[in-house]
Amino acid sequence: MRTTESSRVRRFAIAALLVLAWACSASEQGADGKTVPRLAFVTNGVASFWVIAEKGARAAGKATGTKVSVHMPAEGIADQKRILEDLVTRRIDGIAVSPIDPANQTELLNATAARTNLITHDSDAPDSKRVCYIGMDNYAAGRSCGQLVKEALPDGGQVFLFIGRLEQDNARRRRQGVIDELLARSHDPARYDPPGQPLVGESYTILGTLTDQFDRAVGKANAEDALSKHPEVDALVGLFAYNPPLCLAALEQAGKLGEIVVIGFDEADETLRGIQDGTVYGTVVQDPYQYGYRSIAVLAALARGDRTLLPASGFIDIPARQIRAAEVDAFWADLRAKTDGR
Amino acid sequence: MVADERRLTATPLVLEACGLHKRFPGVHALTDVDLRLASGEILAVIGENGAGKSTLMKVLSGALAPDAGELRLDGRPLRLRSVQEALARGVALIHQELMLAGDLDVTANITLGREPRRFGFLDRRAAEELARRHLGELGLEVALDTPVSALALGQRQLVEIAKALATDARILIMDEPTSSLSATEATKLFDVMRALRRRGKSIIYISHRLGEVRGIADRVLVLRDGANAGELTAGAIEHDAMVGLMLGRCESVLRERAPRTHGPLALDVRGLRTAAYPTQAVDFSVAAGEFVGLAGLVGAGRTELLEAVFGIVPARAGTVRVAGRDVPRGSVAAAIAAGLALVPEDRKRHGLVLEQDVRANVSMVASTRRGGFGRRDRKAERDSARRAIDELGVRTRDDRTNVRTLSGGNQQKVVLGKWLAEPELRPRVLLLDEPTRGVDVGSKAEIYRLLDRLAADGMGILFASSEAEEVLALADRVLVLREGELTGVLGRDEASEEAILRLAAEPRASECSA
Amino acid sequence: MKKILGILGLLIAICVFTSVASPYFLTAFNIENLLRRSALFGILSIGAGIVIMGRGIDLSIGSVVCLTGIVTPWLLTEHGWSVGPAVVVVLGLALTLGVAHGLLITRLGLQPFLVTLCGLLLYRGIARGLTADQTQGFRGEFAALRHLGNGRIPVPGSDSFALPVPCLIVGILAVGAAVLLHRTVYGRHLLAVGSNEEAARYSGIDTRRVTTVSYALCSLLAGLGGLLFVLDVGSAQPVDFGNFYELYAIAAAVLGGCSLRGGVGTITGILIGAAVMQVLRNMITLTDWIPDTVEYAVIGAVILAGVVVDELVKRWAAARARNLADTG
Repeated sequence: MRTTESSRVRRFAIAALLVLAWACSASEQGADGKTVPRLAFVTNGVASFWVIAEKGARAAGKATGTKVSVHMPAEGIADQKRILEDLVTRRIDGIAVSPIDPANQTELLNATAARTNLITHDSDAPDSKRVCYIGMDNYAAGRSCGQLVKEALPDGGQVFLFIGRLEQDNARRRRQGVIDELLARSHDPARYDPPGQPLVGESYTILGTLTDQFDRAVGKANAEDALSKHPEVDALVGLFAYNPPLCLAALEQAGKLGEIVVIGFDEADETLRGIQDGTVYGTVVQDPYQYGYRSIAVLAALARGDRTLLPASGFIDIPARQIRAAEVDAFWADLRAKTDGR
Repeated sequence: MVADERRLTATPLVLEACGLHKRFPGVHALTDVDLRLASGEILAVIGENGAGKSTLMKVLSGALAPDAGELRLDGRPLRLRSVQEALARGVALIHQELMLAGDLDVTANITLGREPRRFGFLDRRAAEELARRHLGELGLEVALDTPVSALALGQRQLVEIAKALATDARILIMDEPTSSLSATEATKLFDVMRALRRRGKSIIYISHRLGEVRGIADRVLVLRDGANAGELTAGAIEHDAMVGLMLGRCESVLRERAPRTHGPLALDVRGLRTAAYPTQAVDFSVAAGEFVGLAGLVGAGRTELLEAVFGIVPARAGTVRVAGRDVPRGSVAAAIAAGLALVPEDRKRHGLVLEQDVRANVSMVASTRRGGFGRRDRKAERDSARRAIDELGVRTRDDRTNVRTLSGGNQQKVVLGKWLAEPELRPRVLLLDEPTRGVDVGSKAEIYRLLDRLAADGMGILFASSEAEEVLALADRVLVLREGELTGVLGRDEASEEAILRLAAEPRASECSA
Repeated sequence: MKKILGILGLLIAICVFTSVASPYFLTAFNIENLLRRSALFGILSIGAGIVIMGRGIDLSIGSVVCLTGIVTPWLLTEHGWSVGPAVVVVLGLALTLGVAHGLLITRLGLQPFLVTLCGLLLYRGIARGLTADQTQGFRGEFAALRHLGNGRIPVPGSDSFALPVPCLIVGILAVGAAVLLHRTVYGRHLLAVGSNEEAARYSGIDTRRVTTVSYALCSLLAGLGGLLFVLDVGSAQPVDFGNFYELYAIAAAVLGGCSLRGGVGTITGILIGAAVMQVLRNMITLTDWIPDTVEYAVIGAVILAGVVVDELVKRWAAARARNLADTG
């Protein structure tokens, strides 16, 4: 009696599990059946920057009638590899990825490109077989950020740089752009000054560059340590979206808010408010919303066999803009409009 | 003394210890202790609580190095730096606190540390052969692949002994090997010891059961306060003589006493079915001021019964009433609130928090009942701990001493102190499970006197013991269990060792006929 | 055998569930991916299991993975070492770290949690400092060596499916570990130490050596795992390579039946435990209806549910055995 009862329970449990699984698989098909292309937007980590991009990607999904999934690898490069493999397994109709380490991921990207439409965004992998790259010219954006520093410190000064990490091509170029602009060097995106020793130019000195590896606590500590080590610094430049707010927090703590100017990158709320308050001179904004939106738009077209959106150069430029006190209110209003509702 | 000298010269000495000294912080554990062990001899070492027996055994088995003094094996100086070294020289210690790996099976435990190997791998067949042989010698029949944790306490003790036998040691040191054995198992062990003696092995045997010592020992070495107190040989090994040497005075441990007067019913148990023996319903009661003994062989279900009454292992069925009020099944907190208290069998695991001091242990029960927004009343804790130390005669430096460092008898007093520290919180019925296991004669007598006094004050006492002697001496009534079944209740005048054994032993004859 | 039934049931349940929920689960490509990932994590989990069976804990596994994963390409590409010496040095380094853990724990009497927690911080810091936080990769070279991590062995009779090389490696290691554990004196002693260290010591076992060897094996396996991980992925970033892997390894070992109280465990169970973790993550990515953001929550919930069900089944079985004994 006991055994039959337990086997009945077990049978019921298995049946319930399978019904649930079937229901889940059915829901994946969508209302229109199989004709809806499924597209994936893969980031290089978890950040609020990517949350804006996600909104763009989802808006594009709605506009193009495609099903979009967004994946943010939480455990680095091996995690990104796993996600790409699993997406390919799902026979996804297109992937837009921001490769964490393009130089060493060629093989993985090519294997992925062989099975689906692959484009890169934010950070390019020019050696791979990706269809195109959507992003910003980071070197140019860096130089544009450098211009803001010059405007803020017209008589020259000492500058400290903060950035998430330097392994990424986009990060390196962005930083190099700032350095080259301040040292009044020629236009050469391939140049690279390793961090460590100060870089001294005619009127501007770059005291150093600190990386925080996406760890906000480390980022703040970096800003604090730079302030205590170099009290003579004139400007802090935060090159990843979250760096300027951390610089502001460290300055506020040190009581030097407004005394030492911050120049930023991207459009964190604190950065924009800082511009309004005058504690931040300006920021250079990328358009993550457009990264997400354009990536999905291109992939949706590709999935439907339409290649007209592809430029011949394989590069879709989403240019960076400089935001100063004069532009900040209009920009912020536009940003809110874009991010309002999904 | 003349007989002694002759004996020692006739058979060669295997082990000698001369002038051993060992000092711990605050305690002089051994002072100039001598010991001689001849080949083929059973030497009993007895002594009161804290007399230095355990320290001496640790020195002999290589677990401790003496501060001064010399060991000689076969006449040659011996320096033991580790247990391994002692084992290699043929000296094996059988611990009272079972030293077994519970997750490993019987074979693995018996061969632990000297596994037979073939081509560098375990030779399982040889190991099982070895295990089977030594278990056979002890008459223990268990499946060799049973994890030791699944065995009863008495069976584990036998595995521990088989393990020592398997080392082929020439000198076996047994630290209270019978403390968890039933009478039959103990008898079997003595047969084994005699057989070993015939084969020329030497045994050092530590026990608190003086009756056993008289039956088995060739010679008795008595320690007192960490020093030699005297020796007794064959004919002179008598109960009173041993007690006299141990205490330094003559005193009978178990005195005759007047019959007690009983009050109203304190504990009433009806139809209790334990999880271990769910088919047996047990009914019994204990009156206020009554002393009830609970007898039976190992595995008779005494511990299970006490644990069910106390609610640690919820009973399957039945009611427990204390002073006329029902106690909810399976709630220790409710049992304590109703006025029950349990002194568990395994005091190191269930009775004490070994890492904490006397004060913390004594105040553990009272603190859960004091309330006051969860705040601990440090002063009250200190006072109750000091009171318990005084009243129960705990031999400790002070109330901040770690209980781990206390001897068995003193630890047991701390466990009792836990329940008795607060006069207004004293239980109506005290349940005790083998409270004198591993406790020396002196402390035993103190515990007996304490229990007697508690009963006289009106506390009901239910006392489980495998020592028929103490049950008979103390109890007003004796309950006898066999495999969970209450097979009989003996009044004070009908109770005798034979009567208990008859009820406790398996009815083989009827089983065969059925 | 009985001990791994629960976890095996969990693995099968997740597989059946996912295969119904996603038509892509049972494709050769996906199965290969899962086998390779499970194998790589399985190597770490075997090491974690060995330490846990000896009643220890090793929190430094992820950082050892990071260190070897970083140092291997660093030696090969930045310093131009040849493959043989680089592999020997990397594995020797991992072994040395394990021996150091063991010695600190057994000779100085430090707590394993503390020693290996310091290891966790130390090795990641060293890896980051050594490379100035720069990604280390093979830059498309060393294809033969990388075969160990991402290679496939053709299976006769199937065009689409091939056996990932790490599976072969973990297979050999698993057999070796099982023999070590159950057929050698060392394994017996390890379980004895895990079950009751004092008993083992009083049985004349050199418990300090036994424990030290277990930590050495664990770190060596973590080092080998890190090597294979980086060979598979192609590059490693000092900051997050191998992050959390110690927890995955410990979870796999515990899921697979190793008690944190020591003394028990099977290699088969550990490997199944490692597979459960990988199939779970695969399930979340393959089926669209669980957002990636709650991935950890799902893993945690399923493991917890598995452990709870396992405990309940054990109790139920024990109660039934008792009832049968009563009536029989």
